[in-house]
Amino acid sequence: MSEKEFEPVIVGFFCNWCTSAAADLAGTSRLHYPANIRPIRVMCSSTVDPVYLIRALQEGADATILGGCHPGDCHYISGNYKARRRVVIVKTVLKSLGFDEDRVLLEWISGSEGPKFARVMNEYTEYIKKKGPSDFKYVDSLGGE
Amino acid sequence: MLIHWEVSDVYNDVLKDFLKKAFEKGLIEAVIAPAATDNSYTYALVTKKEDVDKLTPIAPVMQWNGADMIRRITRLKPAKRKTLAILRPCETRTYKELIKFNQINPENFYLLTYDCPGTIHARNYAYEQTPVDDLIKSMKEGKISEKVRESCRVCEYPTPIKGVGDIGFGIIGVDEPVFFSLSERGKDFLAKMEIQEGERDDSSWVEMHRKNREKWLEEKRITGGRKGIEKFLAQCMNCHNCKDMCPICFCKECFFEDHSVFDYESEKFYNWADDKNGIRLPTDKTLFHIGRLIHMGTSCIGCGLCQQACPVDIPLYRLFGIVGNDLQKVFDYKPGVNDDLPPVMEFREEEFEEFVGLKGGEE
Repeated sequence: MSEKEFEPVIVGFFCNWCTSAAADLAGTSRLHYPANIRPIRVMCSSTVDPVYLIRALQEGADATILGGCHPGDCHYISGNYKARRRVVIVKTVLKSLGFDEDRVLLEWISGSEGPKFARVMNEYTEYIKKKGPSDFKYVDSLGGE
Repeated sequence: MLIHWEVSDVYNDVLKDFLKKAFEKGLIEAVIAPAATDNSYTYALVTKKEDVDKLTPIAPVMQWNGADMIRRITRLKPAKRKTLAILRPCETRTYKELIKFNQINPENFYLLTYDCPGTIHARNYAYEQTPVDDLIKSMKEGKISEKVRESCRVCEYPTPIKGVGDIGFGIIGVDEPVFFSLSERGKDFLAKMEIQEGERDDSSWVEMHRKNREKWLEEKRITGGRKGIEKFLAQCMNCHNCKDMCPICFCKECFFEDHSVFDYESEKFYNWADDKNGIRLPTDKTLFHIGRLIHMGTSCIGCGLCQQACPVDIPLYRLFGIVGNDLQKVFDYKPGVNDDLPPVMEFREEEFEEFVGLKGGEE
């Protein structure tokens, strides 16, 4: 029996107004995107406390995506700008401590960008597959190398 | 019993005379400054001229951050009485930072800050009571005392800064201490006190600390991802003292305490243990520290009280100070030294494109 290919788990926090709509559009347009993505619909990208991104990694996700509206398009006027600053903070902290900051991704995908949604999910899943499993989930556990 | 506030201490005497005179002139109605306890120092609020003698304006120990005390006083309503607070430079910066976060109402407050000789770890002081004179003596000789805390040795701003606080008290490089103004209000205050503003040169003292800091930032960094942070926090017992002492962690309801985010049904724990080959209990120890870094790191002042509060002596300032320094560099922000808003309180429409997407904003 050949060894099973590594299938990453990627948690996506998608904004209700743009990225979630794009996910719908990708579905109704019958565009393929991998089942590795586990989408969570949130009202705005700025409602995601950065700790939830870390939390997802610790619970066993190999990567997380935060999807929001393009700058200037936020349903709540400025939520995505705040989300961007929060992602900057998370990435900087992870990098500073020697973790892989690429396991947190921020993407702007608007409601009409179904093809972009599918492409980003495909590309990112491929990227994480190449990187291999995250060891962040073994923080505070007896497992891991 | 050792009564250290009796040790004749010229600088504290000058400050106490200053306070008494200010009381007499009616410029102030209350003072917040450290006062000695049996083997340490706490902050005290006094409202009478007679009580000024019980104070030790320049104390060798910083048990609490003074700005945190002012926050507790003015959280609900601004102070009605004119109050002069004597704070260290780091506490003055905290004060400024907390004003930005709407945690302190600066109405009726005057701040006096001084050339700081550093402070001794509160626990070390309880065992070996070093008078503040020793620290000041060593400062005047141009040496940072061996006894002061790690965060004081690598302090970025050990002296008063223009615009932060109202009145400066200079010790370095002068035989007679000098007063100088840091703000318009301070200028006014000194004029009413009929005190001639003096000058002194603190550059070598600042330089010395900055050099230490550079070296420290390079050498003490926590690296290595999971293994690095696990090794660093190996002794952590999740008491959250670091959070309680942190002046920037002012939230009444903490994300990490009594929060349903961390309530799980029992099966969840067993599933984790299956999945991760055994989990450590209590859970979320490292997450607490990383989460705290994310929440307050951009405004870390560098008072080092997290490290002093740690009951198992984890040098926590190396975590919060160094990662905080990285964060502040990314946002080009120095907490408490000017009027810029903290990174978490503002945004610009065009910034940080390189953090978006896998290829850094390129489409």
